[in-house]
Amino acid sequence: MALQTQARPSSQAGPGPMPQGGKSPRAARLTPHAIRDQRAGLSFISPSLLVMVALIIYPLGYGLYISFFRTNLRNQWDFVGFKFFIQTLTDPAFIHSIGVTLLFAVLVVLGNLVIGTALALILNTEMRFRTLFRAILILPWLFPDVVVALIFKWIYNPLYGLLNYGLMTVHLIDKPIAWLDDPNLAFVAVVISCIWKGYPLVMILILAGLQSIPKERYEAASLDGAGPIGSFRHITLPGLLPVLIVSIILDTVWWFKHFTIVWLMTAGGPIDATKVVSIDIYRVAFQNFDFGRASAMAVIVFVICLAISIVYRKLVRDNES
Amino acid sequence: MKLTKPLAALLGLGLAGAVLTGCSSQAGAQSTSAPANAKVTLTVLSPLVVETPSGDVEKAYAAEYQKLHPNVTIEFIGVPMNDAYAKISTLATGGQMPDIFINSPEFSAKAKQLGIVADMDKLLGADYLKGFAKAPLDQAKLGGKTQFAPYFTIPTGLLYRSDLFKQAGITPPTTWSAFEADAKKLTVDTNNDGQTDRWGFAMVGTNDGSGGSRFIPVMRTFGAKELVKSGSSWTTQFDSAGAIKAFKLYGDLVNKDHAVPPGPLQTGYAQANALLATDKAAMMITGPHTIGAILTQNPALKGKLAGAPLPHAPGEKSVSVLGMLGWSVSQDSKHQQAAADYIKFVLDKKNQLAFNAATGRFPTRNDALADPQVNRPELKGFIAAQDNAFILPAVPYYANLQVIAGGDYQQVILNKMTPEQAAKDAAEQTKKSISDNG
Repeated sequence: MALQTQARPSSQAGPGPMPQGGKSPRAARLTPHAIRDQRAGLSFISPSLLVMVALIIYPLGYGLYISFFRTNLRNQWDFVGFKFFIQTLTDPAFIHSIGVTLLFAVLVVLGNLVIGTALALILNTEMRFRTLFRAILILPWLFPDVVVALIFKWIYNPLYGLLNYGLMTVHLIDKPIAWLDDPNLAFVAVVISCIWKGYPLVMILILAGLQSIPKERYEAASLDGAGPIGSFRHITLPGLLPVLIVSIILDTVWWFKHFTIVWLMTAGGPIDATKVVSIDIYRVAFQNFDFGRASAMAVIVFVICLAISIVYRKLVRDNES
Repeated sequence: MKLTKPLAALLGLGLAGAVLTGCSSQAGAQSTSAPANAKVTLTVLSPLVVETPSGDVEKAYAAEYQKLHPNVTIEFIGVPMNDAYAKISTLATGGQMPDIFINSPEFSAKAKQLGIVADMDKLLGADYLKGFAKAPLDQAKLGGKTQFAPYFTIPTGLLYRSDLFKQAGITPPTTWSAFEADAKKLTVDTNNDGQTDRWGFAMVGTNDGSGGSRFIPVMRTFGAKELVKSGSSWTTQFDSAGAIKAFKLYGDLVNKDHAVPPGPLQTGYAQANALLATDKAAMMITGPHTIGAILTQNPALKGKLAGAPLPHAPGEKSVSVLGMLGWSVSQDSKHQQAAADYIKFVLDKKNQLAFNAATGRFPTRNDALADPQVNRPELKGFIAAQDNAFILPAVPYYANLQVIAGGDYQQVILNKMTPEQAAKDAAEQTKKSISDNG
């Protein structure tokens, strides 16, 4: 607090002529005590600042720097300017992978939202064994991505898979289906696996949101003659809106850059049907060893994620106002 | 007893001095000790250590070497083969290279471009290099300089169930039309429930190095090469008549002959050899190492597996890829000589034969190759295949060509492209790779 009270007069004084010795009016008017406080403040924030620079600013800056070079990151650094950006933005394969990624992210987020909301509404009721159901339903979120991918890969296996076995047992199909070999089925299969992995987070967020809505509102609505649908529409939904917006945006960014499950289940195939942009970047970097172009692609994805983040902030601000 | 402040300070100084003196004399003792006795940790990046049964053999080498050299510790970095080159590149760019890493003809040009290979000629010595068989050593060289010490070869051929062939009254096919006919004949319903439960051919149809490295030799048996030297640059025959026939063969085996188990596009090397091990398939394009992998899963198949050279198109010849891996010492290694010594230990006759016995992979040293053990009956077909081996073009983007081929045979299998369209697409992508890499 001392820092604020001491600093304010100097900032209110505005710019003035430099006193002798080249010191600014602000520095000249700071008492030794205020300077000591300022240094203390800087020393308090410096560990966080250093960590942020090391873990966020430097990698981002380095990634951007690499994108201007044809490089193997070791002994080849040929400056190419914006060539890789132009090449990437005019490459139909990259545009295709952005399209696949957007569709994938939208479907997974939608699935997470529908299933997460439905389960949260059920768990918010006064049902028996509620704690047990909560514990069971959160389980998929606790599994590592690798485990989820392998579980589903086995479920979809054409020879030994549980899905084919079940469908053949009830005579819905007469011969095994290679789910991950068909481009359309593979895409749906991967989306389902990701929804299974992702819905618990949304469920927990929404459950927390539901529990923050005062019960009196429902009682008042009931007295006014509102049914369950009316209560959901006019009380639950508006009450949940801030949580929903945060969930949607966080989930969209999360799944937009997702790699592991898709890579392990299909490696982007068959014939690029599940080639999300993260797989495209991985292949360019580590199969073609074209690190410069991969960085340019990553920068473009960063810009897209940044745009999503700006939309999120705008929506939240509008909502608050 | 209470110490006064000056006395405590004096004692403190004395203790500090004693500690520092002790440290400096210890450091002095270390610096004067013989390098041979100095503690050395060798890191080895190996894809084989995560496989069965090769992993057990590699760990046994390391344990024995550590027993013989108590000052040396061997630490493995296990990486699956399909991820090995990406891992090496990542470690190289991060300045974290292991002392020894796996290398191959497909990757050696890239490794050389990255500047990560030490001077192997100097480290191994001219006399030692003379002990390698000529074909693997030739493939381990770039511009006359050895890039890696060849570890083993696995010549690509046709692995088949000899008992099922005998039962069906057929012999290993020498042409692709005979192969298709045999594959159809071997596709059967073994338990008469109306469902096919054994297929003729376990196709590795994944779009990766495993799939692509099998398709390219097949394409060569139709007379089409993925890369051809044209003056000082490269061109491709991916769009030639031979390549079109190779793409057509893959499509027909799945869609016309129905001789491939369901899900070929998700069938990688591990899944394909599991299909043979579980009696679900009768043939596979692979090397002799798969015999060891299958027998580990199903020992009952001992004596029922054999190899043959790849079939070929009429008027063409069978071909094979040596499928070779070798060991390079890292340029960044601080223990290059110790690393070279470990590689020589791994490659001595006893260890090469132990590796061959466990995995079926062929040795690369002349003394081990001459041993009767290597010429056992189930390996004879692969030994014959070895004579048809071609040298892989040494370009840094070679691994990418395998993926290009993989993407296009998947298009044909899914009927999304005709063989002609797939061949044209593969050729265009290959030309782009050539031009991107100057």
